[in-house]
Amino acid sequence: MSLLTPDAKTHVDPAAQASVPEKSRAERKTSFDVADFPLPHGREEDWRFTPVDRLTGLLADEPTADGAVTVEVSDQSVVAEPLAADEGVRGTALVPGDRASALAHANSAKALHLKLDAETEYDEPLRVTVHGNAGKRSNGHVVIEAGVHSKGLVILEHTGSGEHTANVEVVVGDGAHLTVVSLQQWDDDALHLAQHEALVGRDATYRHIAVTLGGKVVRINSNVKYDGPGGDATLLGVYFADAGQHLEHRTFIDHNAARTKSLVTYKGALQGESAHSVWVGDVLIRAEAEGIETYELNRNLVLTDGARADSVPNLEIETGEIAGAGHASSTGRFDDEQLFYLQARGIPEGEARRLVVRGFFADVISKIGVPAVVEPLMEAIDAELAAGAQV
Amino acid sequence: MSTIEELNPGLEGIGHYQFGWADSDAAGATARRGLSEEVVADISGRKDEPEWMLKNRLKALKLFDKKPMPWWGSDLTGIDFQNIKYFVKSTEKQATSWEELPEDIKATYDKLGIPEAEKQRLVAGVAAQYESEVVYHQIREDLEEKGVIFVDTDSGLREHEELFKEYYGSVIPAGDNKFASLNTAVWSGGSFIYVPKGVHVDIPLQAYFRINTENMGQFERTLIIADEDSSVHYVEGCTAPIYKSDSLHSAVVEIIVKKGARVRYTTIQNWSNNVYNLVTKRATCEAGATMEWIDGNIGSKVTMKYPAVFLMGEHARGETLSIAFAGEGQHQDAGSKMVHAAPNTSSTIVSKSVARGGGRTSYRGLVQILEGAHGSKSSVVCDALLVDQISRSDTYPYVDVREDDVQMGHEATVSKVSEDQMFYLMSRGMTEEEAMAMIVRGFVEPIARELPMEYALELNRLIELQMEGAVG
Repeated sequence: MSLLTPDAKTHVDPAAQASVPEKSRAERKTSFDVADFPLPHGREEDWRFTPVDRLTGLLADEPTADGAVTVEVSDQSVVAEPLAADEGVRGTALVPGDRASALAHANSAKALHLKLDAETEYDEPLRVTVHGNAGKRSNGHVVIEAGVHSKGLVILEHTGSGEHTANVEVVVGDGAHLTVVSLQQWDDDALHLAQHEALVGRDATYRHIAVTLGGKVVRINSNVKYDGPGGDATLLGVYFADAGQHLEHRTFIDHNAARTKSLVTYKGALQGESAHSVWVGDVLIRAEAEGIETYELNRNLVLTDGARADSVPNLEIETGEIAGAGHASSTGRFDDEQLFYLQARGIPEGEARRLVVRGFFADVISKIGVPAVVEPLMEAIDAELAAGAQV
Repeated sequence: MSTIEELNPGLEGIGHYQFGWADSDAAGATARRGLSEEVVADISGRKDEPEWMLKNRLKALKLFDKKPMPWWGSDLTGIDFQNIKYFVKSTEKQATSWEELPEDIKATYDKLGIPEAEKQRLVAGVAAQYESEVVYHQIREDLEEKGVIFVDTDSGLREHEELFKEYYGSVIPAGDNKFASLNTAVWSGGSFIYVPKGVHVDIPLQAYFRINTENMGQFERTLIIADEDSSVHYVEGCTAPIYKSDSLHSAVVEIIVKKGARVRYTTIQNWSNNVYNLVTKRATCEAGATMEWIDGNIGSKVTMKYPAVFLMGEHARGETLSIAFAGEGQHQDAGSKMVHAAPNTSSTIVSKSVARGGGRTSYRGLVQILEGAHGSKSSVVCDALLVDQISRSDTYPYVDVREDDVQMGHEATVSKVSEDQMFYLMSRGMTEEEAMAMIVRGFVEPIARELPMEYALELNRLIELQMEGAVG
């Protein structure tokens, strides 16, 4: 008996047509058109950690429901005329990189527009409070424009519940100094998919701080590119994932101009069954970006059994003329020896755990350095630990 | 420097790619191109293989058709599977002494310096693979007495069928990936090693692989079994001539490291710059066992190679030391994969890469800690050195941790050669080129010192060649 099939002489290999892989992160698709981003099935590179099965409703192309969100701005003097899709600076910094962002863009006819006047220092933090209502879906697009040599701090607070896609588009003028803080203090059933993208001007300083404590599924993609040499970007993040939470942060620094700097520091703690955190940090150093400096750091502290932290730093470098580039990531368990040491000195276990976790977050929190953010954050972390201890 | 030349007569007078000559190619010229069931059956038939192997090969061919090409990593569009010669037989029967080899093959290996190594008894055993099959084989008598088996894989199947069948495909199944399927369908040659319980092979076993035919595919299959508490070090080197069109090297290496055993596998890959080098290498480690991969990638057009260790038993340990050089037109996409499947296992990956002349090096690795592998530790360190403005270096370290009681660290740095170092060396009378080569050698020294002496010397020489013309 022959083992061969009748046409054994010929062999057609349908899969032999190889495709050319993406040469760099810059080749990943970006588009304003929702149709360019089909519903993800979870095997795509940029969705492979995300529980897309929990997001089918949010990833459907639907407009904002009535009363889904209330948005308040603390200082009306910075609120400019809302921007339509091709109006003003809208679309210059942010081009959607995934379906959620494309939906947020397409379903936001008018974007909230905050404008910091040129040559002006804003002493008080500018607060934007976004409150979502349970069971309702919203799409949002915010444009923050910092004029030349302006200085300011914008705090975006997210509270309440519901399902939200959101874009935050930041244009930092030449020599400006802008800090954008995004606080995710959602209720435990909120879904939030966001793209934050900044275009950093010549010699400008941009700081982006993501603090994610609440929400069922939160995914924030924070991207930076430069509009001229000398820009400096710092991306900081703190997250605390409890049982059942999926907190995902992705950063992409596109060093497309010479002598630019970037520093990314994200730290997270996890506690509880199936708490899941994801950090993916991409850095691309283009051939023209000579003399740049970049460092990325992610550390995860796993406090209890059953939690999972994914950490992926990717670095692509197309020129050797750089001042320095590196990244580091680590995931470790709560160190029992430190706990023992403190307990041996008479500190009760609960208090000792609190000290160790505070110590873990200490350096990123000192980098944040914004009292309006830091104090409530430390309280919130203590509250998370206290809640965890009771379980 | 003269001592290096004395020790390595083969290294004299070598050009930019010193192994680029081609011998007359009577065997290759007549070999058929393309892939089909008939070709696979023909390979199996010529070797007079048992039916289970033929079935296995045909199954793998079907899997090969189904599997997609990798959509990540390097550009593989240049491979034309139907233009490749899948089996080229170069000699009628395997020689047991050097003199028995046909003249042209002997000359080839003389140029590579094998008989020197063998004559000096630097190595415990030598296998030389030319085209598809092993042409020369020798193992020291005392090792043979201890029960060490070191034969080519075809003889392994013939002479030790039971042992072979038990382990073949157990580490890398036929459907593992497209190129593993291809290898399983058309494999030929390679090494089959069995080290019995408690036996320590104290000097390295060695193999050389050479492609001589244009559009040739070399698909060697290596199977190493280290029984409990044994140890062995296997070293392979690879070269090919330079032809106008591309060749494919797609090996599969399976290693089984049993309880408490230790295997070290060293590769210095210096294929010519038109070889696609797409290799699947994997080891499984039982409790207390250690697997070490030492991986040097210098040649080839494209290399995609991620030696893996599956840590299956408690306290097993995996280690990869990897260096990659990418010159003009080269893409070294290399790294390592560590899968922690048992408690208290540990792994270390150290990767160093140098890119110059527009070449691209990528570190692509995976550390996976599965549920139940508590107390596991992993550390990944990647350093890249860029010597000019047009070269490229990437780091893609995937980490997948599904257990909480673990320690996991990754660090990467990319730097350029510092002007201070160059100035210091040049002020001591070195030319710019010498200074650059010295800095690069210093950069890879932590890996070079792990190599057997003659390989370390060769590596240094290859670095110098790679760095030639790198300055200015």
